[in-house]
Amino acid sequence: MNTENLSKLKSRFVSREVDKELILVPLTGNIAKMNEMFTLNETAKLIWENMDKVDSEESLTDLITTEFDVSHEIASADVSAFIKHLETML
Amino acid sequence: MGQNEANYEFCLNIADFIIQIKSDIAFQPETGYESFFTDKKQTTDFVVNCKAEIPLTIFAGQNPVFEAENEQQKFYDIYRHNEGLGFIIYNQQNKNTIQQIALLDKDFRNWTIYSSSETDYNPLRYPMGPIIMHYMTIKTNSVMMHASCAFDGQRGRMFSGFSGVGKSTMSRIWAEAGSTIINDDRLIIRELGNKFFVYNTPMYYKDIPKKAPLNAVYLIHHSPENKIQKLKGALAASRTMAFCIQNNYDQNFVAERLDFFVRLAAAVDIYDLGFVPNASVIEFIKAHE
Repeated sequence: MNTENLSKLKSRFVSREVDKELILVPLTGNIAKMNEMFTLNETAKLIWENMDKVDSEESLTDLITTEFDVSHEIASADVSAFIKHLETML
Repeated sequence: MGQNEANYEFCLNIADFIIQIKSDIAFQPETGYESFFTDKKQTTDFVVNCKAEIPLTIFAGQNPVFEAENEQQKFYDIYRHNEGLGFIIYNQQNKNTIQQIALLDKDFRNWTIYSSSETDYNPLRYPMGPIIMHYMTIKTNSVMMHASCAFDGQRGRMFSGFSGVGKSTMSRIWAEAGSTIINDDRLIIRELGNKFFVYNTPMYYKDIPKKAPLNAVYLIHHSPENKIQKLKGALAASRTMAFCIQNNYDQNFVAERLDFFVRLAAAVDIYDLGFVPNASVIEFIKAHE
């Protein structure tokens, strides 16, 4: 996913930070999805905060490997899983 | 009397909001509204003008911003209209028939409801009434919840969760122990000053208006044994918000709702409660307060 699509995806959520945790609520016309929201762990929070500031998913993966002691493979899987999760909430 | 001049008026007091209803034609609201009638000389918070014709083509060519429907039922569509909103409400027995068309101004204070006068004229017919109540809450530091609430004269305890988790069962247990049940299905929470209060709303059956302070929220589910966990911060706010009635198509609505639940979670104790459906849960809850 490129930067434009990452930004577009992020714009379809409302977020609030409470005690260093983030709550995400999807903006959706789907009545079945209206009550879905979730809070983010540390890795997901880093992805969320940077997904409209990078040019690709690969850059997000690089950011994760820089910030946390994880392999490129695991970081890439985390980024993909998080973005897929966001998409399924809409 | 002319088309624009209402010849029938009454006021409702729902959750301490005064709603003035004006109509071209006299009508009898459903039984549940009867105890909510009030003196119309009080200050009006919302005005509902009811008209006896449906302008069927008013939203022609527009796409709705929100469609409230599931696999079995189509409830209503929402459109942007003159800086406010427009609603098409569908007949709950025949989803292809428009029951009402309603317009809400940009301040969310003034409604115009168009209903057919050909059959059993009732502008507040379900789901129009609950839609009005829900939109009363959007700009007034209030929310509408899927929840039950028991008040024992000292503490208001709200129980929320998906259908079938035991909201009505919990109400029965507290009622048998002498508590007043504010309602066992749908409530309005209002933030007044730095306190939160729970109100019932007109239902399909008759009940008197009730109000209680909100001291604790329990997100409930059945369990082989009573067990409780206090929730805090983001988790408490998001898990409680999941059970409010909401139309999540507008960023501002959602942001205001989120802020409301963050304030609620800071002011009121919120718990995850697994419970055994008998009177033991009352002492269990009290022991953990």
